[in-house]
Amino acid sequence: MKVLCCLDGTNIEHISDAVKRMLPANQLTLGLIYVIDSGPHGELERQRERFLRAPSLNPRRNEQMQNAENSVAQDILEEGTRSLPGAERMQRIGRPEREIVNYALEWRADLIVICPRSPVGGSPTLGPKSVGHVARFVLDHAPCPVLLARPITREKPPAPK
Amino acid sequence: MFLFFPLPALASTLLIACIAIFTLAGIMMRPFKLDEARIALAGAGLLLIAGLINPLDALTTLLQDWNIFFFFLGMMTLSSLVDAAGLFDWLAAQAARLSGGSTRRLFFNVFILGSLISMVLSNDATALILTPIVYTLVTRLRLPALPFLFACTFIADTASFLLPVSNPINIIVLTTFKLDLWTFLRLLSIPSLVVISINMLVFFILYRNKLRGKFDIKLLTTATEAFRYPVYFRYTCGVLLCVVIAYIAASAAQFPLSIVALAGVALLLIGALRWKQATVREVGKHVSWSIFGFIAGMFILVRAVENTHLTALFGQLLLSLSGGNSFGAVMIGTAGASLGTNLINNVPMAVVLTSALQSAQHAAVTTRLGFIAATIFGSDLGPNLTTVGSLATVVWLLILRRRNIEVSGLDYFKVGIIVTPVMLAAGALTIWLLLR
Repeated sequence: MKVLCCLDGTNIEHISDAVKRMLPANQLTLGLIYVIDSGPHGELERQRERFLRAPSLNPRRNEQMQNAENSVAQDILEEGTRSLPGAERMQRIGRPEREIVNYALEWRADLIVICPRSPVGGSPTLGPKSVGHVARFVLDHAPCPVLLARPITREKPPAPK
Repeated sequence: MFLFFPLPALASTLLIACIAIFTLAGIMMRPFKLDEARIALAGAGLLLIAGLINPLDALTTLLQDWNIFFFFLGMMTLSSLVDAAGLFDWLAAQAARLSGGSTRRLFFNVFILGSLISMVLSNDATALILTPIVYTLVTRLRLPALPFLFACTFIADTASFLLPVSNPINIIVLTTFKLDLWTFLRLLSIPSLVVISINMLVFFILYRNKLRGKFDIKLLTTATEAFRYPVYFRYTCGVLLCVVIAYIAASAAQFPLSIVALAGVALLLIGALRWKQATVREVGKHVSWSIFGFIAGMFILVRAVENTHLTALFGQLLLSLSGGNSFGAVMIGTAGASLGTNLINNVPMAVVLTSALQSAQHAAVTTRLGFIAATIFGSDLGPNLTTVGSLATVVWLLILRRRNIEVSGLDYFKVGIIVTPVMLAAGALTIWLLLR
């Protein structure tokens, strides 16, 4: 079974816990994907246009930004393989939600493991806002089953009517 | 054409008004993704070809405003030369080091750094140079990028009326209305401090959860990595310090600030060429030449409208709406300027309002000062309302969102719509209190 694990730099523990607890260790082919979000580059381009400048950043600055992004991506995937040894590593650039779905299709994933949203940030663990836009898009568009690795919570679910 | 076959006054007024409205609408909507400069120049060109403005009048208008053109040139070049020395990278690294690994303190330091850069090198430098540096820094530190990007974007405008040089809009207004430095500081720097505090407070509340925790300070680059050539770096720091002192002295003496900026550029350029840190061609690439076309087009357009006395009527309308008192002047001026900057852009809005307010010269001193301060305040801070540029962009982003396309530009809009009205109200109230 090919399992694609979606990393964001803060969820390695949750993802590896979910994989180890819920999936049989034998006959598993694991893949780790980390997507460098291209959104901030878009923001910077829009910002430049507002100040009546050409949208593209100066090449030196652009290279600096890309180096920082690549180095962090490599570190995250490295940490991922330490938690889930033998996993294939994949780094992509673009809108995370779209890249995950596209890569799952390309890699012929049988299952996608994703956290509902970044564990840091204090967002609610239950309720309508507990699933972030990336996980929601993946749930809506994934070409295979999706395992939503929700952290165990002591919060009470809504009372029955 | 109509120079040789003069039109009746009413017809010429109507034609000029139509061309001005179409040009402003073009700048607002940007059809076929045309840049604003081409649209403004097309409008001005049409007026000249049709003979609706005398070419000599147009030329005189442009020559009279030389300080504005040279200030834009000086400001852009100065920032790019300071950037070449690695000063911005070094300052950002220092801000992170001083935070001692606390994400919240780093966020606070980014606000302070953004305010200082805006104050000395204008809002362009913060928004366009500091933002990518801060993004690189927080990516390396594995911190959430969005709050820091928002902080840079917002503080660029929020801190852009601490000094006359903090925003080129200030120069546009101050070229016509000569405010002495003390009056500027009294009426605008104190409100600026008020709105900076509000901005920081609201952002700390909005992002309190994302800013929890600590980061690993070892992930930071060393101080020497930030700059490539230490001698040029130290030279740049020295020149910049002199430029800041000269800016303040020139503002106090009402000496043209563009000359100070260009003198700083000349000194930095000599250093950059001497230590081979930048070439004239490289520096030239950082200048947005289309801005000059945009401003020139706008000046000619507004001059033609001025000749029809429509801007004077607009000024009179503003004056009557304000009730002729300082409270009304500040509120109407702030609301008009901030809404206008989001409809078109703050440069044309400042030019139009400056022209309109010339007809309010006979009003009471506090009313006149209220209008001038509110024009600067609204035009400088107003863009934070939408931040993505103009309402046209916001509408486009909303359409994309409706098509289920994730658009992070809308996040800017949501934050702007929460924080900016509060800042505008508090700042305007402070200006009014200071006028009394």
